[in-house]
Amino acid sequence: MKILMPYFKRYHVDVSIALLSVLVLVFATLWQPRLLQVVMTAIIKNDQQTVLREGILLLGLAVLGIAGGVINTIYSARVALGVATDLRADMYAKIQSFAYADVETFSASNLVVRMTNDINQVQQIVMAAFQQITRVPLLFIGALILAIVTMPEQWWVILVMMLVILLASWVAVRRMTTYFAETQQDIENVNTVTRENLMGIRVVKSFVQETNEISKFSQASDQLTAVTAKIGYWFSILMPIFFLTANLAVGVAVYLVGQNITAHPAYLAAITSFVAYLMQILYAVINGGFLMTFASRAFISIGRISEVLVTQPSMTYVASEDETPLTGEITFDHVTFTYPGDTQPTLRDISFKTTAGAMLGIVGATGSGKTTLAQLIARLYDPDSGHIMIGGVDVRQIPEKRLRATVAYVLQRSTLFSGTIAGNLKQVRPDAQVSHMQWAANVAQASEFIERLPQTYDAPVEERSQNFSGGQKQRLAITRGIIANPEILILDDATSALDARSEKLVQEAMDRDLKSTTTVVIAEKIASIIRADQILVLDAGRISGSGTHQQLLQSNPIYQAIYQTQKAREEAVK
Amino acid sequence: MSDLRNAGKYYWHYLKKYWRGFILSAVLIGISTWCIVVAPTYLGRAVEALTTYLDQWLNPATRAQASLGTFNHTLVIYVLLYVGDAATIFMAGLILARVTAHSTGTMRVGLFRKMQRMRVKYFDTHSDGDILARFTSDLDNIFNAMNQALMEVLLAVAQFVGILIVMFNQNVTMAWVTMASTPVALIIAALVMRKAGTAVNQQQDDIGQLNGYINEQITGQKVLITNGLQQDSKRGFDKYNQRVRQSALTGQIWSGILNPLMQGMSLLNTAIVIFFGSWLALNGSLSKGAALALVVVFVNYAQQYYQPIMSLTSLYSMIQLAITGARRIDEVRDQPDEVNPVDGGRPDGIQRELKIDDVHFSYLPGKEILHGITINVQRGEMVALVGPTGSGKTTVMNLLNRFYDVDSGQITFDGVDIRTFDLKALRQNVGIVLQEPQLFTGTIADNIRYGQPEASMDRVIAAAKQANIHDFIESLPEKYATQVSDEQSIFSAGQKQLMSIARTILTNPRLLILDEATSNVDTVTEAKIQAAMDNVIQGRTSFVIAHRLKTILNADKIVVLKDGAIIEQGSHEALLAENGFYAELYRNQMVFD
Ligand SMILES: Nc1ncnc2c1ncn2[C@@H]1O[C@H](COP(=O)(O)OP(=O)(O)OP(=O)(O)O)[C@@H](O)[C@H]1O
Ligand SMILES: Nc1ncnc2c1ncn2[C@@H]1O[C@H](COP(=O)(O)OP(=O)(O)OP(=O)(O)O)[C@@H](O)[C@H]1O
Ligand SMILES: [Mg+2]
Ligand SMILES: [Mg+2]
Repeated sequence: MKILMPYFKRYHVDVSIALLSVLVLVFATLWQPRLLQVVMTAIIKNDQQTVLREGILLLGLAVLGIAGGVINTIYSARVALGVATDLRADMYAKIQSFAYADVETFSASNLVVRMTNDINQVQQIVMAAFQQITRVPLLFIGALILAIVTMPEQWWVILVMMLVILLASWVAVRRMTTYFAETQQDIENVNTVTRENLMGIRVVKSFVQETNEISKFSQASDQLTAVTAKIGYWFSILMPIFFLTANLAVGVAVYLVGQNITAHPAYLAAITSFVAYLMQILYAVINGGFLMTFASRAFISIGRISEVLVTQPSMTYVASEDETPLTGEITFDHVTFTYPGDTQPTLRDISFKTTAGAMLGIVGATGSGKTTLAQLIARLYDPDSGHIMIGGVDVRQIPEKRLRATVAYVLQRSTLFSGTIAGNLKQVRPDAQVSHMQWAANVAQASEFIERLPQTYDAPVEERSQNFSGGQKQRLAITRGIIANPEILILDDATSALDARSEKLVQEAMDRDLKSTTTVVIAEKIASIIRADQILVLDAGRISGSGTHQQLLQSNPIYQAIYQTQKAREEAVK
Repeated sequence: MSDLRNAGKYYWHYLKKYWRGFILSAVLIGISTWCIVVAPTYLGRAVEALTTYLDQWLNPATRAQASLGTFNHTLVIYVLLYVGDAATIFMAGLILARVTAHSTGTMRVGLFRKMQRMRVKYFDTHSDGDILARFTSDLDNIFNAMNQALMEVLLAVAQFVGILIVMFNQNVTMAWVTMASTPVALIIAALVMRKAGTAVNQQQDDIGQLNGYINEQITGQKVLITNGLQQDSKRGFDKYNQRVRQSALTGQIWSGILNPLMQGMSLLNTAIVIFFGSWLALNGSLSKGAALALVVVFVNYAQQYYQPIMSLTSLYSMIQLAITGARRIDEVRDQPDEVNPVDGGRPDGIQRELKIDDVHFSYLPGKEILHGITINVQRGEMVALVGPTGSGKTTVMNLLNRFYDVDSGQITFDGVDIRTFDLKALRQNVGIVLQEPQLFTGTIADNIRYGQPEASMDRVIAAAKQANIHDFIESLPEKYATQVSDEQSIFSAGQKQLMSIARTILTNPRLLILDEATSNVDTVTEAKIQAAMDNVIQGRTSFVIAHRLKTILNADKIVVLKDGAIIEQGSHEALLAENGFYAELYRNQMVFD
């Protein structure tokens, strides 16, 4: 709850208006029965004057009530949406400050649910709070005072009634809190299975696993159904208990009045109004009770939201807005790295150095740690020990913007975001003109197909760049990587889906147009790195050899083996 | 209003099978309403009895006979009536809670089932997050509304019927007077609900888009971080977030003001009853005293008459969300299913030949991708598809598995058009290793036996060995029982491809398609699994797409695709001799100078 306070403060004007209009509403609610009473007495007395006067007052009260209600709705909605929107924005900002490992820990699917469903719970309870909760105590206190004044001896009946109702609510709230926590968890599971099926729909279909996926989903869904049914059962117990308690209280009170009526004959006349007040107390308590149970769902959600908000990013950057790129020199000094949660290091004692503008090739078996190494340059993770330096500065000392301005990283499985091609390119380089885009696309050999699209650079991109072929996606990703003309360009197997000819053209264009850029090329194909100034051969997380193609061919057995598998069957073809 | 009709149909579809439950709870609620209506009269009688008792007791002559017996007796009935009320409401509540939970469960699974039947095209062109929002936001709204509104609706109807009966029994004219303002209330309600409907529709659509944005961005968080796009992403987010704020504000306000408006109407109606009633008392046929008493009674009724309307409208914003939810889920339910012929044939592999016959295909109308492809494959042959990126290789594979259907021309197994086969039977014959591997949450073993969940551990291990991923799995602390998921996999890109290969090997398909199956795998490992793959491919009809030509040198036939048309076809040697496009490709890649 505490985390919501600053947000309410931000909307203090709306909050005040919403609360004031509740007062108007309560006034209208409490005043109306009295007014009716007067009117009816007047009718019975056949006092036309009073009927007319009070009747018009009643109409005025109706208008006042409508105004109060409408204003209350508008301002409650403003507060609720203001709080929800800001909370969501802060949560998103927080997630965007996370290190990649933090996102992995929470998992994307989980974060999405928290940002939508959980925020929605909070929004609803805030709305209800300003429409109802503030009204409840006022009505409750009013009725309580009147009831006790009417029959002071019966105070304990009221007390017992309230205690029973509160006890029932307390038990229910405790139960429901666990159920609501389960609900949110189950919604998350449903979301995970669905999301996975959306992403892997081709796999599901090609393996004809629809039926199994449905039963997997049903399991997740049935859990949700079971817990929601339990919540429903608790609700259905609660309401009758409330009413029964109140009516028993009425029965007991009347019975007691009856037994002692000879001592207090005056109470005979008070029974009706006492019952009315008891009922008003009951309605207030019931409303409060229900709001508490709803609030218990919102509290769970608030907890889940603050879990995200209080998480400190596991990686921090030195504070500075410096964006001037560093030089493209990369140094690894005895770097060892273990993935969070792993026991064995993935990279061991890696040391190498490249000069600015050089080309560094990295080869090695699948799972030998090539991507991991590249991720350390881009500081997706920090090493356990050792130092990584870019332009002579330890990466941990480089401000974030400066690092990103220096290093461009084309991921192994890279996709564009939905929107347009130009939109994606402009994200990386906001001032990009068509000429820049053309230049970058030319280098990446992407202009060949982009320019054949009817809308060229404004062509739509679907989620996961699904409307492009594998090789087209990669070339678009490379285009995005180079458009800002970075000092360091990392290509992680970024040409694996390119045909040999396109790949060769990419290399030639990069040699020509990105001369001063340090390029780190991870590749399975020797042809991709054969011209590198230095090639690292990785083997199970260690550097097994380093040097030029010729040197490695002489000295490194792993490199030789890789080379052997790629030599043409017909060496003669020239 | 068409939304309302739609929603009606939607809920009818899912709720009709619970008709017994509804009738039972309606009866129970009827009983409870009766208890509630009758109980106050017993309180009145109790007070009466008490008065008599007091009178007798106060009078010395009758004090001896004075007894609280009637009073106690009446009070017991009063309490029992409320016990009856509580019991019936409780039972109805249980029934409705069950109906609510189970019917939303059925809706959820139903939506998922529908998802499994839809065409690949839908998923290629729609945002995941927006579809997810229908599961997490819209269905949750439906649950909330049913959880609270079902009971209220039934109660309100019972109360409404009850009060009508009571009113018309008392006095027909006054009953009509009490109802006089109803049309006005209905018109106001209809106007407000129309506004609210549009606004809430907009609100949920915007929430869907916001969800889509968040889902896509966070899924691509690695791209955001490595490109330093976090600020930019926040800006994009703000746009969607503010849009939701605006439309939700409109939605909440319109659906929220209905209740205060109806409250006002209720007071207005009371005033009408008062004025008209008094006029009637003065000018009517009734005696003045009786008429005035009638007015008093009807002022009470007027309030009770609006009570059910108010309790319904106080839930209206929830109900509107449920109506909108039904619309959004219906949108998905209206999507076309995959075309599956009734009584489709069940192919038993390829006995003689597979034929791709003059196939034309376009993803988007008017933008043809394949321009008349013809390929003949004999049983047991291995065909390689090569060509520049974007030339249409994956597209051909999409057609063989019927992820998409041809525009014209046909694909036949032994002369039978694949579109006449049962879709599942066809896909069971075709095993495909996709260009982009995808894992599912579960253990490594579950992922390998994905296509045949009942496969034994021995077969799982055998498949993993063939795909050369066994040793790696064994090196993990929990081996085959290691939990993985697609986003948090502990595999490198190449290892993921090997998993994908193992998964396909295990299903032992009749027609095998490898789409760049080893593009991220190093060539040494590739060479190792080549032997295994050769074994798998041996005697099996297969299509292999690869840019690394080394892997396809042994193909019986190499088909060179360019810009959606076949430009060369033949064996490796023949194509080299031809010295055309293929020979050029081959030289580019294989010759280190
Ligand atoms: N879902 C889609 N919607 C619209 N266009 C698409 C879709 N998928 C592919 N395309 C287009 O169809 C053409 C052929 O794509 P396809 O994926 O078949 O190429 P490919 O030969 O497999 O290329 P690669 O070697 O790069 O994988 C491309 O121009 C691509 O942009
Ligand atoms: N997020 C992760 N958590 C734990 N272990 C991981 C993670 N990512 C990769 N690994 C492990 O680290 C090792 C190195 O992975 P990496 O992705 O660096 O390999 P790679 O050399 O790039 O392989 P490939 O050529 O297949 O892309 C692998 O054994 C893999 O299992
Ligand atoms: Mg890698
Ligand atoms: Mg492809």
